[in-house]
Amino acid sequence: MVEFEVPEIDYDQYTNRQLAAVPLAVLLVAIAVLAGSWMLTGSPVALGIEFTGGSQLTVESSMSTAEIGDTFSPEPVSIQGVGGQANTYVLTFDNEAGNVTSLVNQAESAGMTVLGSGETPATFGEESQRIALIGLAIAFVGMSLLAFALFRTFVPSVAIIVSAFSDIVIPLAVLSLLRFKLSLGTVAALLMLIGYSVDSDILLNNHILRRRGEFYESTHAAMRTGVSMTLTSIAAMTVMAIMASFYNIDLMAQIGFVLVLGLSADLMNTYMLNLSLLRWYKFEGVNR
Amino acid sequence: MNVRENWRVVLLVVFVVGSGIMLLVPGAPPGSSGGGTGPTNLQYGIQLDGGTRLQAPAVGITAEGVNVSADDEVSLATNVSDELSVDPIDVRVSAQSSTVEVFVRNVTHEELRSTLEAQGYQPSTVRDGVTQQTRQEMVRVISDKLTQSALDSGSVSTLRSTGGQTFISITAPDRDLNELRSLLDERGVVRVYAFFPAENGTYVREQVLTQGDFRRISAAEQSQGGSGAVVPVTLRQTVAERYQEEMVQYGFGQATTCNYDEAEPQNSRGRCLVATLNGDVVFAGGVRQGLAELYASGEFAKSPTFQMETTNMSEARELEISLRAGQLPAPLNFEEDRSTTLEPALAQRFKANSLVVGIMAVFAVSGMVYLRYRNPRVALPMIVTAMSEVLILLGFVASVQYALNLSHIAGFIAVIGTGVDDLIIIADEILQQGEVATGRVFQNRFRKAFWVIGAAAATTILAMSPLTVLGLGDLSGFAIVTIVGVLVGVLITRPAYGDILRSLVLRQEQREK
Repeated sequence: MVEFEVPEIDYDQYTNRQLAAVPLAVLLVAIAVLAGSWMLTGSPVALGIEFTGGSQLTVESSMSTAEIGDTFSPEPVSIQGVGGQANTYVLTFDNEAGNVTSLVNQAESAGMTVLGSGETPATFGEESQRIALIGLAIAFVGMSLLAFALFRTFVPSVAIIVSAFSDIVIPLAVLSLLRFKLSLGTVAALLMLIGYSVDSDILLNNHILRRRGEFYESTHAAMRTGVSMTLTSIAAMTVMAIMASFYNIDLMAQIGFVLVLGLSADLMNTYMLNLSLLRWYKFEGVNR
Repeated sequence: MNVRENWRVVLLVVFVVGSGIMLLVPGAPPGSSGGGTGPTNLQYGIQLDGGTRLQAPAVGITAEGVNVSADDEVSLATNVSDELSVDPIDVRVSAQSSTVEVFVRNVTHEELRSTLEAQGYQPSTVRDGVTQQTRQEMVRVISDKLTQSALDSGSVSTLRSTGGQTFISITAPDRDLNELRSLLDERGVVRVYAFFPAENGTYVREQVLTQGDFRRISAAEQSQGGSGAVVPVTLRQTVAERYQEEMVQYGFGQATTCNYDEAEPQNSRGRCLVATLNGDVVFAGGVRQGLAELYASGEFAKSPTFQMETTNMSEARELEISLRAGQLPAPLNFEEDRSTTLEPALAQRFKANSLVVGIMAVFAVSGMVYLRYRNPRVALPMIVTAMSEVLILLGFVASVQYALNLSHIAGFIAVIGTGVDDLIIIADEILQQGEVATGRVFQNRFRKAFWVIGAAAATTILAMSPLTVLGLGDLSGFAIVTIVGVLVGVLITRPAYGDILRSLVLRQEQREK
């Protein structure tokens, strides 16, 4: 059976600069990816139909995916088989495809059984983009203010905020690279990530700043708890992501996938970036 | 076991039992029908049970800041509808809110503004959309229509987007998109006309009754001895006199025969009462001897009840629904709607599959916790506590009769994740080096652990709260479940876990001595 012990890392070996360099480099790369995608495609991440407008059909048909595609005009932008269910496909159309009723009619006249349909008009989609951005901004600012309220010192609070920011940006960059489409589920996951990722940062700050005890001892105690926490959450979310994508439950798969990415990024950010900032603050910053 | 010392555990048990009752005992949640279909009292949304959801804005533009007095409301409405050549029912003037609304597509902002200016009013703004009052009326009419026309009524609400546009959101569990649209496509406008030859011999049509003139509408029934169906109706007292006078004036004071030619009304013969629904003639007929006498003698107004006839039962039902629900003040704009519809079979599959996903996630979490602690005394209560958190949440969802969707299930899984995180914090804090023997040490450690948990909970709640109010579709459900879950965790389950852990650890320590 596997042993699950959090390893004790000898942080003494590394300088603060070295520790912070890795997560900061990753963060910079992530920002570069998003910026590059913005310049090339006009949007940092590809947007799903919930944000651009479009239609979706779930159909049952014995035709091949190519035949299904040819049935429609305009053709669907994607055709996905549903796992665990033979002959069931999810078809996605962009907003040029017109009214969903006409798509349903096209499908039915080609002999497909339409199990479900949905449409988002383009205006609705643009609105959702704006709202999602506002929501993320409010959540992030709120979290930042709370971090300051909790610790009332500059460096530790900033450490939390920077690592939470990075926790959101890194998964976004991965989504962008994989050309995954941003959906409502992804936005929910990003917001959830703010809550989840701050847990381990608060834990670390709390152990180091608010308790007596030697720095590395506190760090290790916090890590033992924090890493267990994060790994447990990653386990839950990995299962959710894999199972839900097998069953084609998009919303749950997206939430799971983004949280797995973000929580993994959080491990790095908390125990390298946040830690190096705290160590600097504890040993050098305070004395200045 | 000392109850006073373990009141947190007692509280948890009370909540778990309460949730169990809410979840499983039929009829337990306030306001539930009692005769649920499933084994639990949970309500499922369209993603898990099938059905259709439609969100669409109302058609119309509104001029605001029109200082019209209550006395001028009617004349201004008439003038505006004449001027813009739109149906009078498509114009609504309100002195109370100083607004003039026009519910048709092809009238531009400028046209409405210049029409009002020509009437001597100075609207401050002209905007897209309708007033809140109109929307509320639409919500009422639509939910009446749904209730009248089916067993499972679904729900109707307004949904405000931050951009200022407001949508009417309709969820109907037992209909597909086309059925729902066709129910809502028609505004349910009922009118009754007197149709008779004028002095020069050509037929004229005078409206004698509108929607608002009916006081009571009885259920549609098969007409006695005929092939058609009837809807018995009672007029408002205030209307009855006028109607009676008009009927006599138009020649219905004596029995009339009617031979109405729908294609060429001018080729009709006799005198007819014509009822239309959404502009289509549903009934045209003469007045029987008995009723005509009542009109003539003035007896009718004392008990203003008569029967509206239709050719078949389904028309009678439609007429009844339209009369009862009233007309939709403004049509819905189906060109800008957002819809989701799901076959019940597919939804059932989602229900089963998402349950499997949830259970697997619980297994994953349990496995990790066990691997981490290797001590069933620590791990088992942890898993049980996390499960009880989910149970309490389900009880909450059942008691408020919230319709569960996929996003909520994702929320449950997120709650299991955060819940176990916090339990790990408590366990690590309490089990650190040194004995827990005294109550004070335990209290102290527990309080320290709780500071972190409270701070983490506050951030999660803060992060999710924008989603509860911003109109981002399904996500408000996800956010609400997560927030309630975090609150349940912080207030009920996590303190109880501390108590459980203490008594287990204390017992172990005592045994080891």
